[in-house]
Amino acid sequence: MTRRLLVVLFVFALVVAACSSDDSTDEETTTTAAAAAGEETTTTEAMAEETTTTSGGDEAAGAVTIRWRTRPDNDQEAGVYASISDDLQGQLTDVTLTYEAGGTETEGYQQALLTQLAAGEAPDVFWIPGADIAEFASKGVILDLAPYAAADPDFSVDDFYPGPMAQLTTDPATGQPGDVLWGLPRDVSTFGLYLNLDLINEAGAPDPRELAEAGTWDWAAFTDVATAVSDLGAEVSGYGQSSWWGPVGWWLYSAGGGFFNDAVDACGLDTPESIAGLTAFRDFYATGAGLTYGEDPEPVFKAGNVGMFQNGRWATPGIREVDFNWDVVKLPEGPGGPSNWQFWGAYVVNAGTENPQAAWDLVAALTSAEVQAQVSELGANIPSRVSQDALDAFLTFSPPENNQAFLDGLSEGNPVTEAPLWNGDWPSYRDAMNTAVNAVVTGDQTIEDYQANICTELNQYFDG
Amino acid sequence: MTQSAPPITQQPATASPRQPGWLIAVIIWQAIIAIGAIALGIGMVTGAVFDFRGVGLVVVTVLAALTAAAAIYAIPYLIAHTNRGRSAATLLEYTLLVLTAIAALQVMGLFRGIDAVAANFRDSWYWALIIIVGWVIYSQAERFKSAESTIKLVGRWTMVAGAAILAIALGIIPGTVEFLRRLIEPDALLLAAIAAVCGVAFWLLRRHDAAEVFETTVDEAETVDGYLFVSPNVFGFLAFFGFPLVFSLFVSFTDWDGLTAITWVGAENYIKIFSIQFVSLDVGESASQALSAGYFQAFRFGDVVMGARDPAFWIGFRNILFFGFVAIPLATFPALFLAALLNSKIPGMKVFRALYFIPYVAGLLGVLLIWKQLYNASIGFINYGILRFFDLINLIPGLNLTAPQPEWLSDPKFAMWSIIIFFAWFMTGYNAVLFVAGMQGIPGSLYEAADIDGASWWKKFRNITVPLLRPTTFFVVATTTILGLQVFTEPFILMGPQLPPSGPDNSTLTPVVQLYQEGFQRFNQGYASALAWVLFIFIFGVTLIYFWRQRRAEAEGMG
Repeated sequence: MTRRLLVVLFVFALVVAACSSDDSTDEETTTTAAAAAGEETTTTEAMAEETTTTSGGDEAAGAVTIRWRTRPDNDQEAGVYASISDDLQGQLTDVTLTYEAGGTETEGYQQALLTQLAAGEAPDVFWIPGADIAEFASKGVILDLAPYAAADPDFSVDDFYPGPMAQLTTDPATGQPGDVLWGLPRDVSTFGLYLNLDLINEAGAPDPRELAEAGTWDWAAFTDVATAVSDLGAEVSGYGQSSWWGPVGWWLYSAGGGFFNDAVDACGLDTPESIAGLTAFRDFYATGAGLTYGEDPEPVFKAGNVGMFQNGRWATPGIREVDFNWDVVKLPEGPGGPSNWQFWGAYVVNAGTENPQAAWDLVAALTSAEVQAQVSELGANIPSRVSQDALDAFLTFSPPENNQAFLDGLSEGNPVTEAPLWNGDWPSYRDAMNTAVNAVVTGDQTIEDYQANICTELNQYFDG
Repeated sequence: MTQSAPPITQQPATASPRQPGWLIAVIIWQAIIAIGAIALGIGMVTGAVFDFRGVGLVVVTVLAALTAAAAIYAIPYLIAHTNRGRSAATLLEYTLLVLTAIAALQVMGLFRGIDAVAANFRDSWYWALIIIVGWVIYSQAERFKSAESTIKLVGRWTMVAGAAILAIALGIIPGTVEFLRRLIEPDALLLAAIAAVCGVAFWLLRRHDAAEVFETTVDEAETVDGYLFVSPNVFGFLAFFGFPLVFSLFVSFTDWDGLTAITWVGAENYIKIFSIQFVSLDVGESASQALSAGYFQAFRFGDVVMGARDPAFWIGFRNILFFGFVAIPLATFPALFLAALLNSKIPGMKVFRALYFIPYVAGLLGVLLIWKQLYNASIGFINYGILRFFDLINLIPGLNLTAPQPEWLSDPKFAMWSIIIFFAWFMTGYNAVLFVAGMQGIPGSLYEAADIDGASWWKKFRNITVPLLRPTTFFVVATTTILGLQVFTEPFILMGPQLPPSGPDNSTLTPVVQLYQEGFQRFNQGYASALAWVLFIFIFGVTLIYFWRQRRAEAEGMG
């Protein structure tokens, strides 16, 4: 009997211990998606009412709880975000912050978020990739923050890069800029070329950083360096890139082409410029200077077998572990001039939050220069604020020595902003495009066939 | 249950039984449950109470109706002192006790605090060492006869003190205060009160007095006991399998995106899956020109193109059929021969059995990440091994062979093979252990007789082992098939994040990969559910064929 009583008491202790947590208070965010959709067009008046209610409610009922989540790229970054949450806890009055580590890209961040949204249990504030903004906004899942931003004297759209902000202020009904604000960008990133300087020196090839400095860093110079390095041996490759849409897109945009037409309402993959870019891309791989297309280049680069590895800033923490001399150079210019991507993701607010003002305050705090500096220190991100202070701080976070290469990608690279299709099905478009491009690179499809058919197939993924 | 078992008591039932006070209370409570459930159902349908809509409304209304029906059903039998009423009321009270207690804890936000318990435990687990010390003291007391009782007392109180300290470290004091604060909130209090009354009614019905009143037979009592024993599993099954299964069937007839309201589309998802078209191409004509709008090329056979509204479905099924035809035999036949070796009485064989089983008990993700490195075409050990092997062969004078260096994960020709090889490796050890277990059930006398007859190892294996292993083989093949047809983690990890899990040129696209992409990347939960049901029916059909063949073999005396 005593043993049974002890077991019961211990179970009770575990049960009540669950009540001692901050994140399980009765401040639930359980508004259904349908209700959220109905409330998404929050007017200024409604905002004022909500703000008053929230503030008044806050004072009357004590602190409100705001749950927030982001997708870190690694455990280190997850730790930094937890630490940031602790710091902000002291700065935001009447708010109890709960940071929920969300898992990384391969650990089901998206699945967990979608499941929680469907169940009405998603956090008040969460991060989503830039390409998902249209989907979330058009379905009424995220809150229009324009009224809260308008009432915030410290907020200015111009504090952030215009590319992401253009997407975050797009009205899903028209696909055009509108009086809306879907969130604020957490950070941005561009592509750079990670260089194995030891291999390049051994091959006797010119230093790409010097070529870039001299203004002669173009596709021809890039091919020469890659070929020289790959000539070092069968196990060595001059260049490696991943096989998702980003690196492929760089070849197309560098040639003056792109994925879409100018209005982004139809396929642009069959234009002469796009075809020229794809042809150059295919021909480069045909020389054998590149690591097999589709093979993961990161471990091979880190093993010291690739001369130039194209990837975003997010790869830097991993590259810092290598034991050879390395640095970064900006991407070479193509016939269409310099080009790059501007990748980004945004903090958005759950349309079902019961505390929209507090959620906005948190979004603003998470995108402040101080917080962005903390995250950037790890090396994975570039601040999304364009303030010189933030950029100066970023430049101090080395290696790589040539941090400026990433900023050059933003300032000189004519970057194309990672963007959703406001009037189309981007995931289907993307997958079909990848399959077709892969077929061209591997020789399973001719360029001519590709040009003749690609847009007929892909235009079906646009609305109307 | 048979009707022959004697009643627990021998008291005869009276024609108009007198109702004990506790039974009147239980009957009244049953009536309250029935009226409450009916009122709740009407209130929800009319929108007067709660804000359930769509599926939620249907589910909760059906639950309320079932509750009312069960309560109404039990009342006349309770009044007549018929055991059927006792059984029905007992199970109803128990079910309501569990459901309302869980609902109360949910309303109190307790389940969201589970993470906090884990975090607290991580920070204060070392206090549990005191409990272990106390247990060690207690368990060793018998060694000291003269002071046994004193040492046991010390051990017991050390354990109690350790548990108390651990509970305090886990936050029992602030937790209790918070628990009570939330408990007095109206919603939580109402649910807790219902749970408490259900608990009391359940206890009243379970007492020996109740068994006497209802003249419960041993069989009847054991039947209810059986239901109660399996109830945790039944609740778990219903909550985590039964309901999602039915819900996914419903969703498969909608265009639900997981985020917004559900719209019924009938069989449109299934029609899309199975819409195919065959066209013959003229000279210079492309597939997209020849196919109707909305159809895309799935396969091409010379000049004939098979188009489909969802070519990914057909490609995925082609891939999984190929996978199944190759991977399942590779995971089964080697396992059979391996089991034959492992079943021998060579010293140290148990160690080998454990070694071969390790892949199955190791974390799948971790093992896959290692294989991903092994498969790397440039720096992976597999290609390195091939290279060195050919170097060895080329030592033979006159030979100068070029070592193949397959691009295991990036070449469409090899990508699926990389998954097949991993799957076969992963399953072989597990299947071998199952076969070993089956072999050890074969009577040794058969082998002895065969030995006397001079049978060779192969003849014994073919004529004794294989036929008598048929039930085990059936189980191994059926489970391997079911697992194989649902392969997902392997392509997801081996291909990603470099490639989508569908691999290069969709070469590793499987039905589960496709439903994942539809559900979580394209926000098409409705279509993903339809894909899941088509796959389910396919696997179910394949399994039925296995069962049919097994039964036929048994009927023919081979099983």
